[in-house]
Amino acid sequence: MTGALRPVLLIARREFASRVRGRAFVVGTLVVLVLLGVYAAVIATIASGDDTARVGVTGPAVALAGPLERAAPTEGLTLTVVPQPDVATGEAAVRAGDLDALVGGEPARPRVVVASEPDADLERVIVDATTTVARDGFLVARGVDPAALDAALAESGPVVVSLEPPDPQAGRRLGLGLAGAFLLFFSIQTYGAMVAQGVVEEKASRVVEIVLSSVRPWQLLLGKVLGLGAVGLLQLVVLGGAGLAVAGAAGVLAPGPGLVSTLVSVVVWYLLGFALYATVFAAAGSLVSRQEDTQSVLSPITITVLLGFVVGFNLLTSDPRGTAITVISLLPPFSPLFMPARIALGVAPVGQVVLAFVLTIAFTAVVLALGGRIYANSVLRTGARVSLREALGRGRG
Amino acid sequence: MLEIDGISKRFGSTVALDGMTFTVRPGELYGFVGANGAGKTTTMRIALGVLAADAGEVRLEGRALDAASRRRIGYMPEERGLYPRMAVGTQLRYLAELRGRSAAQAREAADRWTERLGLAERRADEVQRLSLGNQQRVQLAAALVAEPDVLVLDEPFSGLDPVAVDVMSEVLRERRDAGAPVVFSSHQLELVERLCDRVGIVRAGRLVAEGAVAQLRDASAVEVVVDAPHAPPGWADGVPGVARTRDADGGTVLTLADASEATLGGVLDAARATGPVHEFRRRRPTLAEIYRDAVADHGSEVAA
Repeated sequence: MTGALRPVLLIARREFASRVRGRAFVVGTLVVLVLLGVYAAVIATIASGDDTARVGVTGPAVALAGPLERAAPTEGLTLTVVPQPDVATGEAAVRAGDLDALVGGEPARPRVVVASEPDADLERVIVDATTTVARDGFLVARGVDPAALDAALAESGPVVVSLEPPDPQAGRRLGLGLAGAFLLFFSIQTYGAMVAQGVVEEKASRVVEIVLSSVRPWQLLLGKVLGLGAVGLLQLVVLGGAGLAVAGAAGVLAPGPGLVSTLVSVVVWYLLGFALYATVFAAAGSLVSRQEDTQSVLSPITITVLLGFVVGFNLLTSDPRGTAITVISLLPPFSPLFMPARIALGVAPVGQVVLAFVLTIAFTAVVLALGGRIYANSVLRTGARVSLREALGRGRG
Repeated sequence: MLEIDGISKRFGSTVALDGMTFTVRPGELYGFVGANGAGKTTTMRIALGVLAADAGEVRLEGRALDAASRRRIGYMPEERGLYPRMAVGTQLRYLAELRGRSAAQAREAADRWTERLGLAERRADEVQRLSLGNQQRVQLAAALVAEPDVLVLDEPFSGLDPVAVDVMSEVLRERRDAGAPVVFSSHQLELVERLCDRVGIVRAGRLVAEGAVAQLRDASAVEVVVDAPHAPPGWADGVPGVARTRDADGGTVLTLADASEATLGGVLDAARATGPVHEFRRRRPTLAEIYRDAVADHGSEVAA
């Protein structure tokens, strides 16, 4: 911790401490955690809320009880068949909401009484049951054993040969990939903007002159990016960890080697993406001297990232193997957002991952050089907004 | 020894500094005076490496300044600035560590300077909660907390209350007596005159006069004040060695060609000849007058 690096670490430590101790970070993280919890609870309720139905049978339709119970699982319905003494009692129960439907009359063509509209799944179950009853009657009348037909049908059917076996975890992988992309986008936008705000704050309060009489601009810039990047990483870990814990508890996600490699790639890509975007944000922030002007220089960047994110997110959900998302995930500014998602989905060949990684590192190096130059040239200029041309001009190095 | 050697700097078409040269010796308090825009702040910023010079060099003890030796300079920028939401103590420790002090040294120095500057009670407070006067004291502490070997202070007295001015003067003398080269700029010329061992007067990006205040006085025109109540107007005209006369300071102020016995004696004789003489004394110009003269000598140029 000597020489040129000590100031960088001191600056990073200050940025980290002043943000993590700040109320905004704690409250912000808690709010996101609560939202995440609520979201998970809602998803869990929907997922675990199996369809259940209570159906009353009466008169000759009692014969439907067996076929109804056998048909229900194929529609994903948990069905309880409740025999009713007569139609009037059954109808009263439907009206009271104790029964979802009352089936009465001729088994092949029963009268189904419902409160208002029959549930679609339930209707299909009843149709299945009546079809079975009608078919069995038809077959028995012609001396054929329905069970023999069922046995013959059970033997039939195609044998599917998958050249690429489908991934049983595909849905989960997609969820993980999308969550990763979203968290990366959120972190990069939030903490990138924080870097810009920090730069402007130092300019506005003029403290930057004292700091720059002690350290070089690149040290200040690097320290800032490292410090805020660490805050962003901490939040990413807290949120990601909470998300994984919730998912794990809900049984949506099973830990495995795929999970670990996904997490590692999310963190690596976050670091790379953050270095890239934070530098751009810092350079943009150094062009203005007042907080009010910050938005005007940040908007072009945030809108570009947002557009890329929305387009890429849609492509990822609709066609994760398509050419479009492949190209986007190879373009350096968007690689950090989508490459980890494609890796999680298992649709990114190693060659593409390496290419994207190399391209992003090269791009980041260029951005660091240019951004550092803009920053060094502009950070001491107060007053009017500094033009990009001036900022890129001959600096003090 | 801090040497500013032939520094030039342009901002676009404006010449900010044009061969600025001066030296601040160890144990010397150097006053840097000049109009707004004359180049004082630019000189100091270049000395601290905050700006790059187009030409020239700044040396500390004979060696060109680099990032490491710059950290030995305590700096107070003209544009005051601290982290508004950082506590006084934490902030001072941070700034000291940025200049290469260890955590323990930084803590000790921050405690000592806050104590000395009357801020001990406010160490845990955010800077933005302090009064402006106290923020100025924190700013001074920020310049001193890294135990600098050199002090470069841009307008350190502006915005200070009289008590703080005394504390500041005391601190500057103390650092000077400890052997540090100390340079500060100010518009308060009486203060500069009282405090400084040497003064540099800057105009349009270059030094136009430099020296101890006494030297500058000797170098300026010789004036005597004569109060001879019965003397008629124009009594001194034609006395050998008298260049100009004007009425001021409750008598006649004569500007003399030299301070020789012959000239002074001739003037005194001429005054006695008009009747009683109540006062006859050599007039010492104030620094403000020297400054005005130095600037007026270049009256044909437009002051920057």
